[in-house]
Amino acid sequence: MSPEGAPPGVVERLRTRLGREGVESVHVVEAGHVRRFCEAIGDGDPRWREQAPPTFVVALGAETPELPEALEYGQGWLNGGDRFEYLEPVRVGDTIRVRSRLVDAYEKRGRSGDLLFLVFETEYVNQHGRVAVRVRGTRIRR
Amino acid sequence: MSGPELRPGLELPELVKHPTTRQLVQYAGASGDFYEIHYDQEFARSAGLPGVVLHGLLKAAFLAQVVTSWAGERGRLTGLEVSYRGLDLPGRPLRCRGVVKAVEGERVELELWTEDPEGRRTTVGGATLELRGLGRDRPEEDEAWPPSSTT
Repeated sequence: MSPEGAPPGVVERLRTRLGREGVESVHVVEAGHVRRFCEAIGDGDPRWREQAPPTFVVALGAETPELPEALEYGQGWLNGGDRFEYLEPVRVGDTIRVRSRLVDAYEKRGRSGDLLFLVFETEYVNQHGRVAVRVRGTRIRR
Repeated sequence: MSGPELRPGLELPELVKHPTTRQLVQYAGASGDFYEIHYDQEFARSAGLPGVVLHGLLKAAFLAQVVTSWAGERGRLTGLEVSYRGLDLPGRPLRCRGVVKAVEGERVELELWTEDPEGRRTTVGGATLELRGLGRDRPEEDEAWPPSSTT
């Protein structure tokens, strides 16, 4: 079932970790960082001088919970998908607290072997204590 | 100025991106994603890939740009969802496209995707927007989209 060499019970052990949180981190949204991010994605919209473009929050560096078991499965990581929910704008100068937790872990049979899916939910909370952006990211071990 | 009606089937102006290895390094630095499959050819091949590949989240950023550059200040992005279905390599043009799926009151649903030179949809997803200043008192069928701000 699992890829060759993956120890049995990895998925079961990971499922006991659902809800586990990574270390919370705090970041100020810096104008220079937003500018470099916009240059990197090739989006020159002048709006992004004041406001962060929609996917910028991922650059704030969420600390996902440590899951050493996941590394026992497969050879490397793939990105499965991301879902962003926008509740408040993120502006240059905002202070954002980032916290990430494991919300799901499951295995799927793929065309070229089995895959382990880990789903993380990350909340970006602004200086007013309100969630500005919520991101649900699916990461795959294969 | 008159433009296309805001209704299901309306295609958003497409963006064609020309990602380079330089851009992948820029994105790695700006995003903090230093996974080597995005800039180290040898590492990428040893991981079973044809070479370095685009970050999924870079493609998400491209698709977000399709939406925000089209809607401007007239719509607030409330949701964006993407699934990474296929790998994209630098040096190959990537078409970033979108189409209106539904319009319900002030809520607009969009379908989004990236398309490689073979026409494969390598990223699929969607977005939701909340329109600003397009209330019920202004009949939607008379609205050009995006509304012209210069006339």
